[in-house]
Parts: sequence; C-alpha cells; structure tokens
Amino acid sequence: MSVSITCPVCGKRKGYEFRFGGEDKGAKPEESVLADPAAWCDYVHMNECRAGVQKEWWCHKDGCGTWFCIKRDTVKNIEVK
Amino acid sequence: MLKIQRQSPVSFAAEAIRTEEREHWNIVLEYEKEGEGPWLADMSHRPRWDVQDGNMASLSVFGNKVPEKPNSCIYCRGTLINRMNAAQASVWHMDGEPQKPAEKAYTDTADAGVFLALAGKQIFSIAEKLTDLDFLNPRQETPFLVQGPFSHVPCQIVVADRGETGESPFPAEKSGLILLSCSRGYAHDMVHAILDAGEEFGIRAAGEDKILNELRRIFSG
Repeated sequence: MSVSITCPVCGKRKGYEFRFGGEDKGAKPEESVLADPAAWCDYVHMNECRAGVQKEWWCHKDGCGTWFCIKRDTVKNIEVK
Repeated sequence: MLKIQRQSPVSFAAEAIRTEEREHWNIVLEYEKEGEGPWLADMSHRPRWDVQDGNMASLSVFGNKVPEKPNSCIYCRGTLINRMNAAQASVWHMDGEPQKPAEKAYTDTADAGVFLALAGKQIFSIAEKLTDLDFLNPRQETPFLVQGPFSHVPCQIVVADRGETGESPFPAEKSGLILLSCSRGYAHDMVHAILDAGEEFGIRAAGEDKILNELRRIFSG
C-alpha cells in the first residue's frame, strides 16, 4: 500500500502520483562553503536517512506539477502533520 | 504549393455525415447515429495554450483575469481559463473565432495534446470506471479543474457541468460535460479505454456541434 500525500493544490492523493525529491536540507549553503569539493559532495549526496519523521520534498508529477514539502514518518511510511 | 494538413490523433469508427475544413484541420461536425448519449467527441483541433508567469494576478488572458485559486476555472466569450498552480494556467478556446495571443507567456499546446469531451448522461458512471478522482465533490462548483490520472494517464480534466439538481450527492446519471486533455501519444489508448468503459451505457462518437450545443446550454446564463 502506497503512502497518501497531501498536495497543497490538489489535496490528498495516492503516492503513485508523486515524485520523491529527497530530504529537505534547508537553504543552500554559501557558494564559498560549497567551493570545497568535499563540502559539495556532502551537500549533494549525504542524507540523514532518519528512522522516524523527516521533512521531504515531493512533486505532484501526475497532477499540478507543484513542488512542496511534507513530513513523513519513514518507519510507518505515512504523512504526519 | 504543398497543402498543410493538421491531423488529429483521434479517429472513430463511426461514419461522419458533416465535416468542415478549418485552420488546416478536417473537423467532424456530426457523426451518423449519434444517439441520445453519452457521447465522446474529439476536440483536439480547438486552440489551446499554456500560460506561465511569475505574477499571474496581473496577467490578462484575452481581457479576462486568470482565476486566483488553483483548480478553479472561468468560461468567458468561448474561452475556458483553468488555473493550474501558482504560476501556470491553461487556456482552451472552445467556441467562436479564436484570438491569437502575442505575449511571450503563452505556449501553443494544441498540436502536442489530445483534447476530448465526454458529454451526456451517465458520464460520471463511465469516469468512475477509469479514475478515482472525485468529480462529484459538492464543495467544488462547476466549472472546475482536476489534475491527475485518468485511465492511468496524467490529464487536465475540467468538469463543466454535472447536471446539478440542488440535491446532494448529485445524481450520477444526470447529464453532464467533462473536458479532458492529455499528451497526444495517449490518444488511441485513451479513446479505446473510454469507449470500452462506456459500452454498457451506449456511448457513441459525436461531432463538434454536439459539444458546442452542450457548452452553449451550460454557459448561456
């Protein structure tokens, strides 16, 4: 059974309509910080992979096309408020 | 000189009895034995655009304001304007002489898509065989836009009419009108799926005139 996700435009829909966009890592760090290849690599590839509630980006690809964030419990695979 | 011919991605097995050449499209106005409905009509020849702008509130589409709320629509002087999200709207020209937008915000999408109309009685019974999107939500006033999968294909769907009688829930067997747009490549399978789902309700192919009559009836007020 897929997760249900609440799109801010279309409302609650099946997870099959969405594309996962990764963990929300907050604002992009300054260019001076990301100039270091190791820092850039960490920023792009390293994730927290939290077992619990994490904030994530999703795109309603089969619907309105909006990118938005939700909080999802990765253990239960359900959206939480 | 080479004659330009624009080709609809949809074809029906029914016999056309009235056709018209318009803007290089060969348009069927009426099919033989259209019956009492429900009907499926190919409207792919109607001009359509996507409009994209960071400030949609200030944008005027042929003199009309774009609806503020996503998934809401307005129908004005033969043109349906559907607000998709914060920065995009789709514009479908349904009736009368189309205007040609000059602004850069417009992208012509007519040749990239298929545009179908499902009209008449029992269309919501047909639709519920193909999608779990809710077209009968009493909190939404017609016309409204639904963006989501119809027969597993990402579509823009406008519910123009659902035969409201003041009762809630609305009687699904009442006559209504659904307009549906998706990528051109899905045309054959989409038509096949709708005709197959509508077979038990006696669905027939209809020409453009049938849909225009329905639109004029719905929006005459």
